[in-house]
Amino acid sequence: MSQIFGWTGKILRVDLSTGKTSIDDTMKYKDFIGGEGIGYKILWDEVPAGTHPYDPANKLILGAGPLCGSGVPCSGRTTIVSLLPTSPFHGPGSSHMGGYFSVEMKYAGWDAIVLEGKAPKPVWIRIEDNKVKIEDARWMWGKGIFDTMAMISSQMGKEAQVAAIGPAGENQLNMAVIRTGTSHSAGGHGGILGAKNVKAVAVKGTGSVKIAAEKAKVQELDKFMMSIIGANNQMVVPSHPQPWAEFNSPGSRWTGRPGLFWGAANPPVETGVCDPKDMQSVGFRTQKAVFDLGAGAEKYTVRMGGCAHCPIRCHSQLKVPQLEKYGMDPYVSNTCVGWSGPRGVMAAGGGIKEFDGNGADSSVVGNGIGTTMVDDLGVWCNYGQIGRDVKWFHEKGVFKRVLPAEEYASIPWDLLLKGDPRFLIDFYDRVAHKKGELWHIADGSAWIAQRWGLGDDYWDHKDNKLWTRGGYPVHHSNESAGQVGALISCFTNRDAQNHTHQNFIGSQLPIAIQKEIAGEIFGSPDALDPPQNYTRMNEFKARFVKWALVRGRLHDSLTLCNWMWPMAVSPLKERKYRGDTSLEAQFFSAVTGVTKTEAELDKDAERVVTLFRALTVRAMGTVDMRGKHDAMNKWIYTPDKKDGKEIPQFTKGTIQMEKDDLDKGLGMVYKQFGWDEKTGAPTKAGLEAIGLKDVADELGSKGLLPA
Amino acid sequence: METSDVTASDAPSAVGTVRRDSAAGRLTLLSALRADAARNASLPPAAAEIGQDAPSSAVPADPLDEIGGSGAEDLKRMDGRAETYFFSDLYMTRAYASYLYRLAEKDLVGLVVETVREDSRLYPRPTPLDFFRGPPFTLAQDQLDDILTRIREREDCRDIRECRASNGARYLYSTLHLTVAHAEALTEWNEVGQAENP
Repeated sequence: MSQIFGWTGKILRVDLSTGKTSIDDTMKYKDFIGGEGIGYKILWDEVPAGTHPYDPANKLILGAGPLCGSGVPCSGRTTIVSLLPTSPFHGPGSSHMGGYFSVEMKYAGWDAIVLEGKAPKPVWIRIEDNKVKIEDARWMWGKGIFDTMAMISSQMGKEAQVAAIGPAGENQLNMAVIRTGTSHSAGGHGGILGAKNVKAVAVKGTGSVKIAAEKAKVQELDKFMMSIIGANNQMVVPSHPQPWAEFNSPGSRWTGRPGLFWGAANPPVETGVCDPKDMQSVGFRTQKAVFDLGAGAEKYTVRMGGCAHCPIRCHSQLKVPQLEKYGMDPYVSNTCVGWSGPRGVMAAGGGIKEFDGNGADSSVVGNGIGTTMVDDLGVWCNYGQIGRDVKWFHEKGVFKRVLPAEEYASIPWDLLLKGDPRFLIDFYDRVAHKKGELWHIADGSAWIAQRWGLGDDYWDHKDNKLWTRGGYPVHHSNESAGQVGALISCFTNRDAQNHTHQNFIGSQLPIAIQKEIAGEIFGSPDALDPPQNYTRMNEFKARFVKWALVRGRLHDSLTLCNWMWPMAVSPLKERKYRGDTSLEAQFFSAVTGVTKTEAELDKDAERVVTLFRALTVRAMGTVDMRGKHDAMNKWIYTPDKKDGKEIPQFTKGTIQMEKDDLDKGLGMVYKQFGWDEKTGAPTKAGLEAIGLKDVADELGSKGLLPA
Repeated sequence: METSDVTASDAPSAVGTVRRDSAAGRLTLLSALRADAARNASLPPAAAEIGQDAPSSAVPADPLDEIGGSGAEDLKRMDGRAETYFFSDLYMTRAYASYLYRLAEKDLVGLVVETVREDSRLYPRPTPLDFFRGPPFTLAQDQLDDILTRIREREDCRDIRECRASNGARYLYSTLHLTVAHAEALTEWNEVGQAENP
């Protein structure tokens, strides 16, 4: 076999039912890049339609791509692929986590780990390079993720990277996570590990990722990348005016500035000016604690943490001594929805308020309680949906209607309504341990709507933010570039998790510059509208949607962080704030030695998008994607009202969409992918043209190709 | 510890001073440059220059002449009411220099009004009032209240309006560039919606 670069060339298969392990050849999946692409191909080939996510026949793939472990900036992501328990038709889906797991997996010699079957008793999987052992997990089962990681680390050493589930996963809660590191959670697949009786996968590697290009070439690319990188979410404008900056934006995650500190470091560290030409201060650009938790978090910030090979440190690592009072570790870490998801449950009472003598620091303490609970128990928030659901069910009397009276009376609603986050301790304990009826809230919206008899008012209430009847919510949807974000959200089986468009429009650059860049990428500045000032659908927006979907799959396959990539913009005035959208292809070519242009690599990722679409068609058993899958909930295209009068769509100040316009947009996106414009399903010709003849043949045999 | 006398040849040039100040995030005042020049003129010549054609220390060089004759295109001049300011656009953007200029000139109404108009035009976005409490402005709340009162009284500031997000946060915008509905929607999004959609 010729030398392989980038990929390790090996996939580890663990048959939990028999306890046997085997090695598969990565290169037979090279047309699907890696990570997510490999995962979907394995699902297509090996998991029959109609399989329940918790059935031993389902498989779970922990995947890395060829760039993971290579040192390419922001390449520490792990993509997990399996069927989704929250999906009402158990469609395919991916979940993602940062941290160091996938890099260690590559160092151990594996591009992916495929978990098959079901262990007869609780186990954990120990991987040390090519030595794989299925270990007894009886002493870990029932424990939280923090203790589990400590137990494994005590055996394998602190170098081991662990991906584990908590009680929520063990109990096969649909909304359960797989977590690695202190705070990196992949939501939605924790219950599948539980169903397979796998508490954790731990890996330690002593190898490396081989790189094809000369060292100087990679260093040159790395240097260029570092010159155009911004802050978290590729925001390239600082939040406060700075001498070097032509622009600023109070909403930017580039929060680093003179006078802002990692206040709990010893001695405190000032984030400072963070001039974009100063590579030594890149890690100070994003002081995420104050962005996520408010100014009060500054004094608790020990430092910012993050993932392997990422210069952008977006996870706040805090020391909150008050947490000890509640029996918790004072050290707590997270980012974004890792904070807002758990605390969102408190929305029913108006959010976290002053409690238990914590005064002005109550919010930070409360956030610490929430994130500690979910990170230990391993509960997923369905991108914040659990909080919106608690609010709706409480306000509309659903809880009172469906919970047994004794159970209802036992829940400390007074804490919720007082804004006391100690409610979260009780709430998440009930949910993770499946106590009573309340825990069904973590079945996911589609299932709970059936179980608790929720009607159109639930799905169509704007503040519930549910995108389709698939039971997932907005995630940079119509609020992000109108139809572009809206349409992106239709093509998944869970929240879109797509930041390709968001990293571009969220750059915080002036709209004129953004439109110029949009024109260069998509053919016309009309691809992008000013915020909250939308125009009707056009072909260039459809190209934008396709680009976002393709790059999302590309990043999850390479595996790069889609919370940073692509590099469409930069903080550099001398580059007219342009980034370089070909950088993924340049890195891919340099690392793997397989030369690909930007268009060629995008075509590979388009294959992954289309395969995912085919998996969804097969899982739903219908070609009517437009009607059965992509149909958006009514609130999205219901005009807002002010003073009793409707605000027409496409007027300044409303982000409400118009149904006919969205329907037209769906057709335009289908056309971009070569799918059937009427149904939205891939066609025989389209599948064959993109190298998926076997998929076309199977769909054809099942009558699942459009006429 | 070694010490050495400061001599005229050690004195920084006006161009160097402006660049150094800009890199440190501050404007350079002409009055300060002139004071430096006068001080430098009083310094003894360097030992190597003694007996040569060392310049007389009696007449200080005019920094304006030095800057004008330097050919340094990065140096930019801003004339205030009683002071002249310099910055180097190698180290400081015009936008940042403009903020500092208005602060130095104590033109706080102009600072707020022009910043709000520019934000409304450029991005477009309303400007949170709290923006002016942070660096480099660090205005106190009573200063901001006073500025707002004066803006309301001025005919030439009629385009500056205030709106509030549902959480009570106060924002300013210019009706030259944003409609009321657009400004209100952006305010709510920036203040509340964005945090709910991370």
